[in-house]
Amino acid sequence: MEMLASLGDGFAVALTFQNIGLALLGCFLGTIMGALPGLGPSNGVAILIPLAFTLGLGATPALILLTSVYYGAMYGGRISSILLNIPGDEPAMMTCLDGYPMAKKGQAGEALALSGIASFVGAFFATWGLAFLAPQLVKVALLFGPAEYFALFVLAFATLGGISSTNQAKSAFAAALGLGLAMIGVDTQTGVPRFTFGEVHLYDGIDFLVAIVGLFALSEVFIFLEHRGSAKDATTEEKIRVGRIVPPWSMVKSCIPTMGRTSILGFIAGVLPGAGASLGSFISYSMEKRLVDKDGTFGKGDPRGVAAPEAGNNAAAGGALVPMLALGVPGSGTTAVLLAVLLALNITPGPLLFTQNPDVVWGLIAALFIGNFMLLALNIPMVGLFTRVLMVPPRILMPIVAMISFVGIYGISGSTFDLTVMILFGIGGWALRKLDVPLVPVILGTLLGNEMEVNMRRAVNIADGDYTVLASSWLTILLWTIAIVGFVVPMIAGKLLKRRMALAKAAGDEADLVD
Amino acid sequence: MIRKVTLVPMLAVGLLAGGIAPAVAFEPEKTECIAPANPGGGWDFTCRQFGKVAQDLGLIPGTMQVVNLSGGGGGVAFAEVVNKRKDSNDLVVAASTATATRLAQNAYPGNTADQVRWLGSVGADYGVIAVAADSEIETLPQLMEQIKADPRSVSFGGGSAVGGWDHLKILLTADKAGIEDVRTVKYIAFAGGGEAITQLLAGSLQAYTGDLSEAKGFVDSGDIKVIAVLSPERLEGEFSKFPTAKEQGIEAVGANWRGFYAPGGMSEDAYDYWSKTIADLYASDEWQQVMETNGLAPLGMTGDEFQTYVQASITEIADLSREIGLIQ
Amino acid sequence: MSDRIFGGIGLALAVLFAFQATLIEAPFISDAVGPSVFPIIIAMIMGLSSLYFLFKPDPEPAWPQFGQLAEIGLAAAVMFAYAQLLPVLGFVIATMFAAGYLAWRLGSKPIEAALVGIGTAVGIYAVFHLVLGLSLARGPLGF
Repeated sequence: MEMLASLGDGFAVALTFQNIGLALLGCFLGTIMGALPGLGPSNGVAILIPLAFTLGLGATPALILLTSVYYGAMYGGRISSILLNIPGDEPAMMTCLDGYPMAKKGQAGEALALSGIASFVGAFFATWGLAFLAPQLVKVALLFGPAEYFALFVLAFATLGGISSTNQAKSAFAAALGLGLAMIGVDTQTGVPRFTFGEVHLYDGIDFLVAIVGLFALSEVFIFLEHRGSAKDATTEEKIRVGRIVPPWSMVKSCIPTMGRTSILGFIAGVLPGAGASLGSFISYSMEKRLVDKDGTFGKGDPRGVAAPEAGNNAAAGGALVPMLALGVPGSGTTAVLLAVLLALNITPGPLLFTQNPDVVWGLIAALFIGNFMLLALNIPMVGLFTRVLMVPPRILMPIVAMISFVGIYGISGSTFDLTVMILFGIGGWALRKLDVPLVPVILGTLLGNEMEVNMRRAVNIADGDYTVLASSWLTILLWTIAIVGFVVPMIAGKLLKRRMALAKAAGDEADLVD
Repeated sequence: MIRKVTLVPMLAVGLLAGGIAPAVAFEPEKTECIAPANPGGGWDFTCRQFGKVAQDLGLIPGTMQVVNLSGGGGGVAFAEVVNKRKDSNDLVVAASTATATRLAQNAYPGNTADQVRWLGSVGADYGVIAVAADSEIETLPQLMEQIKADPRSVSFGGGSAVGGWDHLKILLTADKAGIEDVRTVKYIAFAGGGEAITQLLAGSLQAYTGDLSEAKGFVDSGDIKVIAVLSPERLEGEFSKFPTAKEQGIEAVGANWRGFYAPGGMSEDAYDYWSKTIADLYASDEWQQVMETNGLAPLGMTGDEFQTYVQASITEIADLSREIGLIQ
Repeated sequence: MSDRIFGGIGLALAVLFAFQATLIEAPFISDAVGPSVFPIIIAMIMGLSSLYFLFKPDPEPAWPQFGQLAEIGLAAAVMFAYAQLLPVLGFVIATMFAAGYLAWRLGSKPIEAALVGIGTAVGIYAVFHLVLGLSLARGPLGF
């Protein structure tokens, strides 16, 4: 009851003309920045900090503007995933897998609307979780020591086999490639540079944004160049039909259980610092595929494959605010930026924030609710507008996409070195796609590699070099068991089963011949 | 405790301004502060707070642009300023003891402290050693005795890499406490003080080494207890309840100053402008308020005095690192 | 055949990576694990998976003809040049040329390509620089 009263106070703070205007502005700009490749939520928020300060906003209005941008960018990332097969930001990577096939089938409008609804459900659930469970959830975060984090990351990589139906060895190779790329830079544990070849620009490692934009966006440009003028040109010339804009109720209904499950899963992933929204959407997708994909439709344009990662990553975005507010520990790049904003506004997040600055916390939560409704209201009618992008012929669209990719990276880092690395990623991405090597594990490896290694080393160091510590607590054993029993064993068993069936079939054929 | 050091350079600038030069010898068109780390860290905080308060007070024109240029523990930004921005008059870069530590250990390949000009400091963050609230350990000597008995039984966590400032502080303390081989002290590096404290609360670590400002929120909430502050004497105000290491018989002092450097080729007028801006800012009530909320202790120096202070601090850290065997 | 070559390259990459990992200089104070262990584990995974498709290759992908390959190489070269010339020519001019080239090679008629180049450069400049306030490369003409 007390909480509802506090929330009421929060709405009283948030519901002023100025704050609603700021939320609307933030949602709009956030959606656009999320959709542009290279400008994700963290850069989106960072870019608008000067605006918040120039307008001379107080703590609460500034936070309302910036968190609206944050939520908006999480919504926006899916748009380019679905329409162009290029993730607008890293958590939207998984939305490509089923969103783009849906668009190709002429269901772009439905995919966009459905993912908008899923985003809303995920964010709505997470905001309630943030409002009522934040203090208790902090205890969940405290269950995770270094060994538990390592086991969690192992679980994430074990689910890789599930996401792409192609050659599992190629998935493993792609993951190793990503992890290897993550090793480049100064080792945080000892301060020693690794794989940098004396290049100072590499000391900080390879920015995963550079990797993701290169691998997805530029390689897409190369694919179009390759197919132009060949027999396959027909596919690019063929107008993608847009289809209906409002998804049929049956489609939404079939996704409701998926949205429910992945909202919870994504939220928990978000609460853990260091895991974040990308892990949230990734685990949501792969778990859901393992759970409901009986007919093998995931990856071929299954609406549930669009709803799962979108509910997951938006729930994770809300979840990531829990450790940021309650512990002062940013769980993701974006929350690190938001943390900096809070500090600059003289608000110190931490265990006492909820009692010392209740107006800020509850104003923020109310703003998140308002922003979320606004985003739904903005996004659904705009689906028709977004799908117009597909009407633009590739010969005009692709140069624009390429240039936006360059600007997204250059505008943030100001480094031509990054651009060069990005082009190399583009060429590499094109070659990997030709060889049927999935790109998602590469990104996942680059994103999680450092955290994975560092947590393993912390755990083993604390245990004085005893590696068994990595599977000693009940939580680590649980995570390892899910990874092995849930994902690794079925992968091998499934293959054996398939082979035996093939053998039996061959034997049967032979028998027929002998007869 | 309070060092009234800002007075002399301010006086000098005042005389200059009143005597010969026109009121404003240099006025930047746009102002920029490089935070050599990602958003959320101490350097970022220094830049953003400086920009915000200076703008509120009208000390600088417009909004200060904060650029995060992370990498190499500040090395990328240092190299950028030395190589590409050396003549810029509109630029300041956030620095701290961590910068001095790395310069002392030659961790910025090919760069030295005299390639830039040190502008001034805006406060200091004293080191703390803390344990979880439910820990049996109550005093610093008790903790040190336990390490002497079994160095493996205590894991320290801190927000800097191995050999960085948080690590050095604990090595210094162990050294002063008479531990023979300080390299046996276990130190686990985290991406930031907050993460290390979280793991202290989670029970993965036994002790925390960091700065007072990082620990403040958790001390207020009663989650952790500070067993020693590495200040020469007790701090003021609400922090006066924490015992110093010195009064517990361990002569360890570690101050993490926060301040700025400027490009080496900055014009004299611009250098004076920025020194004066920093001095004015430091003297303002608004800044004192920022320091109080964030657990910063007074330490304000500008101009030549700061230049000398940084050089001395680098020499001191180099000596210490050599003594412990961190560098040859 | 492609998969076998790819497996060979992957294997070489893994060996090189492991070798580089052993070369990492010993830090002042090392932790119990050290900076080389995890990279070597990664190299092992990379090597093993490379071996797998070295011996069990997938069906051959459809590689492009020489003409298309040259097309991709040229586009990449233009992009590299763009990255280098960006700080020299300034954002608008460099982008005009790069976008125009890509549009032309993707099948636009020359006039349309020129229009796409100009439109893209000016449009992005307006949105990213004037509205969002990102600092894009300034050329001799100030934009």
